[in-house]
Amino acid sequence: MNAIEVNGLRKEFKAYSSRSGLSGAFRDLFTRNYKIVPAVNDISFNVKQGEMVGYIGENGAGKSTTIKMLTGILTPTTGGIIVNGMNPHKERERFVQTIGVVFGQRSQLWWDIAVQESFRLLKKVYKVSDAHYNEHMDHVIKTLDIEPLLDKPVRKLSLGQRMRCELAAALIHNPPLLFLDEPTIGLDVLVKLKIREFLKEINEKYNTTILLTTHDLTDIEALCERVIMLDEGNIIYDGALKSLKEKWGEGKEISFEFLEKADLQHLEALTNDLEAKWELDEKDQIFTAVTGDDEEAVSQIIARTVAAYKVRDVKINEPSTEEIIRNIYEKGMA
Amino acid sequence: MDKYLEMIRIRFLMMLAYRTNYYTGILIYSINIGAYYFLWNAIYGGKSEIEGLSALQMTTYVAVAWMARAFYFNNIDREMAMEIKEGKVAVELIRPYNYLGMKTMQGLGEGIFRLFFFSVPGMLIVALIFPLEFSADFTTWVLFAVSIVLSFFINTQLNLLTGITTFFLYNNTGLIRAKRVLIDLFSGLLLPISFFPGWSQEIMKYLPFQGISYIPSMIFTNGFTGSQAMEGLLLQAAWVLILIIPVQVLWVIAKKQLIIQGG
Amino acid sequence: MFYVRMFFQYVAQYMKTRLEYRADLVVELFSDLLFQAVNLIFILVVFDHTEFLNGWSRDEIIFIYGFFLVPFALFSSFFNIWDFNERYIVKGEMDRILTRPIHSLFQVILERMELESLFGAVTGLAVMFYAGSRLNLEFNWYDPLLFVVLVLGGVLVYAGIFVMIACISFWADARTSIMPMMYNIGNYGRYPVDIYNKAIRFVLTWILPFAFVGVYPAAYFLGREEWYGYSYMTPVIGIVFFTLSVFIWNEGVKRYRGAGN
Repeated sequence: MNAIEVNGLRKEFKAYSSRSGLSGAFRDLFTRNYKIVPAVNDISFNVKQGEMVGYIGENGAGKSTTIKMLTGILTPTTGGIIVNGMNPHKERERFVQTIGVVFGQRSQLWWDIAVQESFRLLKKVYKVSDAHYNEHMDHVIKTLDIEPLLDKPVRKLSLGQRMRCELAAALIHNPPLLFLDEPTIGLDVLVKLKIREFLKEINEKYNTTILLTTHDLTDIEALCERVIMLDEGNIIYDGALKSLKEKWGEGKEISFEFLEKADLQHLEALTNDLEAKWELDEKDQIFTAVTGDDEEAVSQIIARTVAAYKVRDVKINEPSTEEIIRNIYEKGMA
Repeated sequence: MDKYLEMIRIRFLMMLAYRTNYYTGILIYSINIGAYYFLWNAIYGGKSEIEGLSALQMTTYVAVAWMARAFYFNNIDREMAMEIKEGKVAVELIRPYNYLGMKTMQGLGEGIFRLFFFSVPGMLIVALIFPLEFSADFTTWVLFAVSIVLSFFINTQLNLLTGITTFFLYNNTGLIRAKRVLIDLFSGLLLPISFFPGWSQEIMKYLPFQGISYIPSMIFTNGFTGSQAMEGLLLQAAWVLILIIPVQVLWVIAKKQLIIQGG
Repeated sequence: MFYVRMFFQYVAQYMKTRLEYRADLVVELFSDLLFQAVNLIFILVVFDHTEFLNGWSRDEIIFIYGFFLVPFALFSSFFNIWDFNERYIVKGEMDRILTRPIHSLFQVILERMELESLFGAVTGLAVMFYAGSRLNLEFNWYDPLLFVVLVLGGVLVYAGIFVMIACISFWADARTSIMPMMYNIGNYGRYPVDIYNKAIRFVLTWILPFAFVGVYPAAYFLGREEWYGYSYMTPVIGIVFFTLSVFIWNEGVKRYRGAGN
């Protein structure tokens, strides 16, 4: 069963450009230059129940706009959305009962009152019974380790503490679908790890579908098998994270640290019949050979180099997801 | 000086960007003045004059008082309160300008904008609908111009004062509102000061409020002429100078507090 | 039923927050009182210089003002949405509202309520009793009941107008400060509308029907029979305007653009 079905979804915004200078501003008072800008440009995709999907793209690529349409906040210009079997905007009040939303940049909790008061109020808002609440939330509170924070007002919490509480608040009604918009922005590594672990756990336990946008690709690597990549309102990649790497992760890097003094030209001469490009990090005296995915070439480079010099350390690196994605955006998908 | 002029220009542009504001503003001010016109006509009820003002002068008084308000009125106290609460004021303080001076200039930018694009056309529209009496005397216009500039400074200084209190009170929305209500009444916007009972006029002589609306409006309607007008201007100027003291004193204390509490 | 329960939940939360800042509460009550006093002073000063306002006596005008304060207090307590545009549209709080399973307008109302304004109703009743006793008004047994109905009608009129103004934010491209100015116009409903010319009377009756929050319903208790028709129409106008405003709100929400665009 599909949790999310998006078909030819499009959202246009009317933007007006200001004329420059004072006289331009006066003219704006009477007539304005309007421009129709599509923020999301006819996209289609499906997400199955229980999937964890990373939704990535640069700032302004249309991520937030899509999430806001999927959560019923914005009305699409054209196209169809079915989420949890409903049209988010048309049946908003019934629909939001079945989703949880966390906006990393915006608090869902009441600023001035204690966290548990916010929880209590949300519990009533989502019509959660005491029995359900106790069973489910006891566990959530324990796993996220927020027990000691419950009686503190939100404004007194640190960002990491607040984010954990936000996450708990979004799960009070144990929704089958969770939207996370930049949930780890500005958090330290320990909190990030805790949040990731928690997300994995609820995904396994309740088969919760999770759609995640983030700038931190390590989040995606840790959680998502599938990524959807957006550029200027269009989907430029939709598929497994692994095949993205295979397809775009060009080659390997082999770094050597030598015990004796090495010479870049000599190294280049050694491997001149192979596909290899040598680089030297002057500061650390690390020599790196960049090569393709040909395994024969990799082993040849290592064998010849080791034979020529005494080696202290050898590392084989694949390009990181971040590099791959930067590459895609810089060079384009074609 | 350049940076302050730039600030005025930026505010000007900001105001122009809000054009819905602009159109509805003129409409609503006109309705406002219209309603007051009829209210005052009913109050006069055929009397030729009350407290030395004819019904015609009174209408003009109301119209010019509201239009002048568009010039001197600003929300910098609310803005300051917001900036202080959100902790932005610490950033403002490390910038190379005088914060209070900058706020004043922002208010002036807004004021000048409203004067030319709001009050003047608004006044023309109102003058078409209702009988108003404009002075033909050039000196009256000059005195009025000086007077509303002074009233801008008095009002702005009072706004700065209420704005600064945010440092000490944290939440001062109530105070800001109370100040606005008091100014509307005691400045002579709603009623000329001369209408009040004698004892309260006596008290108001020692308060800065009548310098905000009463004096310029009386000058405009020729209620004050000659030496009376000059006295009024002197009184306004005196208040502008006097108010510098509490503003600066509170500001110095506030800055100390800011350093101790760390913004 | 759910909405009634939610209402009391929010009220309870509100009390808790409010009691944390008790000093604010005192200042706010004081500034409310000041605001009410200033308008009363205006009436008193004016009547120092005249006996009648188009045939209405000082005490009648004061009575109308007292009546006006009651629906106005209820309105201010529950429809404190004058900064809706800034708070919910510009800062994007509307996003959060729209992810919760309660009608969005109802949530905004619940979040923004300011119960201390209810105190104004007490002032209003006091002013009415003062003026009423000086006027030797006679009351029927059903008048208190009618009072409640007319007050509620007035609240709905005010609420309807201000919700509609808040809705402008869904369409307009920039912030507007119509809201504070509208409070001024609301004041004119407190004076007998027969002092105005036809255009303004028409506006105050049918376009921005503020007259139904002051002079029209109060005329009933003052025994001004020529206005009874308008008095009885108060709840009708209230329901019509409020329903219309909710309808416009629902349409507006569809056009919500979200923050940061």
